[in-house]
Amino acid sequence: MSDHESVRHLLALSAAGLLDAGEERLVREHARQCARCAAKLDDYAALAAGLSALPCPLPLADLLRRTNSLVAAEVDRRQGAVFAGAAAIFACAFILLIGQTLRILLGDSAALAWLLWAVISSVLGTASALVLASRRRLERSIV
Amino acid sequence: MIYQAAIDESFPVAEPTQVARLRSGDPAALAEAVGHYQHRLYRYLLRLVRDAASADDLFQQTWLHVVRQLHRYDAARSFDTWLFAIAHNAAMDLLRRRPGESLEDREFAIPSRAPDALSTVLAGERAAILAAALAELPALYREALTLRFEEGMKLPEIAEVTQVPLSTVKSRVRRGLEAMKQKLCKEDIL
Repeated sequence: MSDHESVRHLLALSAAGLLDAGEERLVREHARQCARCAAKLDDYAALAAGLSALPCPLPLADLLRRTNSLVAAEVDRRQGAVFAGAAAIFACAFILLIGQTLRILLGDSAALAWLLWAVISSVLGTASALVLASRRRLERSIV
Repeated sequence: MIYQAAIDESFPVAEPTQVARLRSGDPAALAEAVGHYQHRLYRYLLRLVRDAASADDLFQQTWLHVVRQLHRYDAARSFDTWLFAIAHNAAMDLLRRRPGESLEDREFAIPSRAPDALSTVLAGERAAILAAALAELPALYREALTLRFEEGMKLPEIAEVTQVPLSTVKSRVRRGLEAMKQKLCKEDIL
């Protein structure tokens, strides 16, 4: 490839500031001797300057508010999930510990009755928590 | 000008305290980040997908991904490139599903428009003409040019956002500029 041909492929990248020092020097030296490449380099430079100065399109006025609500709801959901997980683990450990204690002190039937009561109240509690959480999410999405 | 000033201001989000605040899900830190990046991120998405409604959706999707993936963010890396890489993936998913949108890295030519139609639509404004010429490029070239010239990203940063080798980024920037120059010269704009 001739010097002219190899430099021709570098002109756009020179205007974009993406050449290394050696390539940039090659382009500049060639452009000093070649009017055609110098003119092209000027065109690319004008194009690059124009692209850098394009006006920034503005988002809709409420995009920020909507995104912040969405992000806050997601953070809330994630934190809620972590809290619910931790609470569930704690509740299971507590139920089993009490069950074991009742079994030792009062026998199997007392432990079984406790476990049954604990399971029923846990299911009801979880259902209520889910309903409340979904209502809260709905309220946040409306706001 | 006001927006340009907001864009140029450096956001110290990569500082450990800021990252820790973001990771802890601090709503104020997240709202600060969303506000800081709103113009840059929206502009990048709009250049890529070319319609405001999709850019709007992708903007929200990107921040939801950010909240979900924050634990994976490496504070040693630039927050800008990490954020734009998430936006890139979301936009590419959308463009892949969009009929008629080619994401192949190949030779192309921008169709030339009649000068009268061009002048009617663009009202002779140079910036609008440039923006229109940019919008006619294939998505991968639009993206390379907008990241380089509007975001002012360096070669490795663009490569990180677009997840391609440096040589591919260079090739996309070169081809994008060559195609724009060809079109603008043909219409006596450059």
